Amino acid sequence: MDLLANLSVGLATAATAQNLIYCFVGVFLGTFIGVLPGVGPLAAVAMLLPVTFYLPPETALVMLAGVYYGAEYGGSIASILLNIPGTPSASVTCLDGYPMAQQGRAGVALFSTAMASMFGAMFGVVVMILLAPRLAEFALLFQPAEYFSVMVLGLVAASIVSSSGAVRGLMMVCLGVLLGTIGIDVNSGETRFTGGIQELRDGVSLVVVAMGLFGISEVMVALRGATQSYAGAGLTGRLLPTGAEWLRSIMPALRGSAIGSFFGTLPGTGQTVASFVGYALEKRLNRNRAQFGKGAIEGVVVPESANNAAAQTAFIPTLTLGIPGSTTMALMLGALMIHGITPGPRLIADHPDLFWGLVVSFVFGNIFLLILNIPLIGIWVRLLRVPHYYLYPTVIVLICVGVFGISNSLTDVWATLIFGVIGYVLRLFRFEPAPMLIGFVLGPMLEEYFRRAMLLSRGDPTVFLSRPGSAALLAAAALLLAATLLPWKEWLVRSARTAGRPRAR
Amino acid sequence: MRGLIVHLGPILMLMAGLFFAIGAATSLDLGSFRRMGPGAFPLLVGGLLCLLSLVALVDGLRAPRDVRRGDPWAVLGVVSGVAAFAFLTPLTGVLPATAIAVIVTGLVIPEFRWPHRLILSVGVSAAVWLVFITGLGIPLVAIRGL
Repeated sequence: MDLLANLSVGLATAATAQNLIYCFVGVFLGTFIGVLPGVGPLAAVAMLLPVTFYLPPETALVMLAGVYYGAEYGGSIASILLNIPGTPSASVTCLDGYPMAQQGRAGVALFSTAMASMFGAMFGVVVMILLAPRLAEFALLFQPAEYFSVMVLGLVAASIVSSSGAVRGLMMVCLGVLLGTIGIDVNSGETRFTGGIQELRDGVSLVVVAMGLFGISEVMVALRGATQSYAGAGLTGRLLPTGAEWLRSIMPALRGSAIGSFFGTLPGTGQTVASFVGYALEKRLNRNRAQFGKGAIEGVVVPESANNAAAQTAFIPTLTLGIPGSTTMALMLGALMIHGITPGPRLIADHPDLFWGLVVSFVFGNIFLLILNIPLIGIWVRLLRVPHYYLYPTVIVLICVGVFGISNSLTDVWATLIFGVIGYVLRLFRFEPAPMLIGFVLGPMLEEYFRRAMLLSRGDPTVFLSRPGSAALLAAAALLLAATLLPWKEWLVRSARTAGRPRAR
Repeated sequence: MRGLIVHLGPILMLMAGLFFAIGAATSLDLGSFRRMGPGAFPLLVGGLLCLLSLVALVDGLRAPRDVRRGDPWAVLGVVSGVAAFAFLTPLTGVLPATAIAVIVTGLVIPEFRWPHRLILSVGVSAAVWLVFITGLGIPLVAIRGL
């Protein structure tokens, strides 16, 4: 069996002591970051990027991935106990999770979200094992024109889900792509837009951009904002759901996982969309729908299984096509490129230990997470009581040390600060900087494939429309753009909330 | 005045787009369709950014978007924290710089009391030493002159 052979390669990679430890560190940090509202997984992965310079690529990826899906577990804890989502994708969990906590069923809610998260994640891993190699095989047929178009599709998808709207999202993508052109052009050897500054010849460093835009500027936003820590009692009462509650949760968990896997695989959409759609759909299908919003167990099971399935399947387009499913995924692509690994359809064939090792590490990581989230749930409840102001100065200094440590360069520290201010100003003007990072990571590849496709077509720009694969991908991008004219967001939010609005605190 | 600020975002973007597009067109080789020079792609994307900025500008004229209110103290706290780190590291080494930077950034959080600031500052320095210098083995000068 091919699959078994692959999985044993993966097991051999994932089960080394080093990779297990870093996997645990990753999911632990992920849960930590997820529990605390204010700093998200994106900032955490950005901050850990320098560490990857000192680790082998598969270990680095195992850890960064752990932060990413660990945050999905942690995000629901604040949703349930505080009615404040720890991560954006956990906001739907507030709708039923917080009422459950108010009824004294916080233990049951936390237990069932952990189980649902595990279920969704495992579902996502199976989808990934079955789908990713096929998709990669298919993508091997791609020529430069298709590569260019699939990247355009990914960039369009990433920008339309941006909270600042499609036009502004696309503007951010363009700005990121332009930022990526700074430095030496690999084709001609000419320097571009460096303004004669020697340090810019190698281009702007991904670490500097990511830490500035998502570490520094997020702290600026959160530093003096009103924060709230948990003042309620420790967990009392039952932890285990009743038999009837288990039974009622099975079908919703399956449906949530399926929806999550779909949206996770679709580049650009990701966990938040998955959990919203999952909840909205479940509310139409479930017999118990009248209870939704009043503390129905299905209401926490569905979004949590959906967003965890999506967190795992987001790796499918990232690792098989080189198209990041989300901004955090773009950072992981960046981490791979730092190690000289080009993400794309050849990745699974060229680096089987990396791909299958990562897949197997997901299984270990989720087992760690289950342990962290059920027997050790008390730690996280206590963490919510700690005032948040301890966090922000720490983050700032860790960014400084991390950036400085890479090449002992204080110029990099100043550059990070500049990008932090840029990110803050962009946020003030209602430009969400996330698509900019995706543009920055994909920009150089986009240009490379564009130029190569034009060369192959002897200068005929219609090549992108005359090749059926490329045309279909561009048509999909155009359809997505057209779809933004419809008020999807209002529909989803409305249908998710009509059962009973979450009570104001 | 307020009206101008609302449109400043797209205007800045337009300027960025123009900077890259004009820079590419004037100082870089554009090449031909078949063999594109280093300037062609930035010109295209810069042009696209200009176009989108104009769309956003028109959009903003029809339905103005609210600009978020900035918090100068938060920006000052973060900027001076990073600046303290950058200035002190060559003089004192990483650990004292870390300790001072934590305190400087913490100064702008009013509910953060002095004893807590000091505890955090010492704790973070110890963590930096443990994780970065001992754990990851990054060659940093912990304390200069030691």
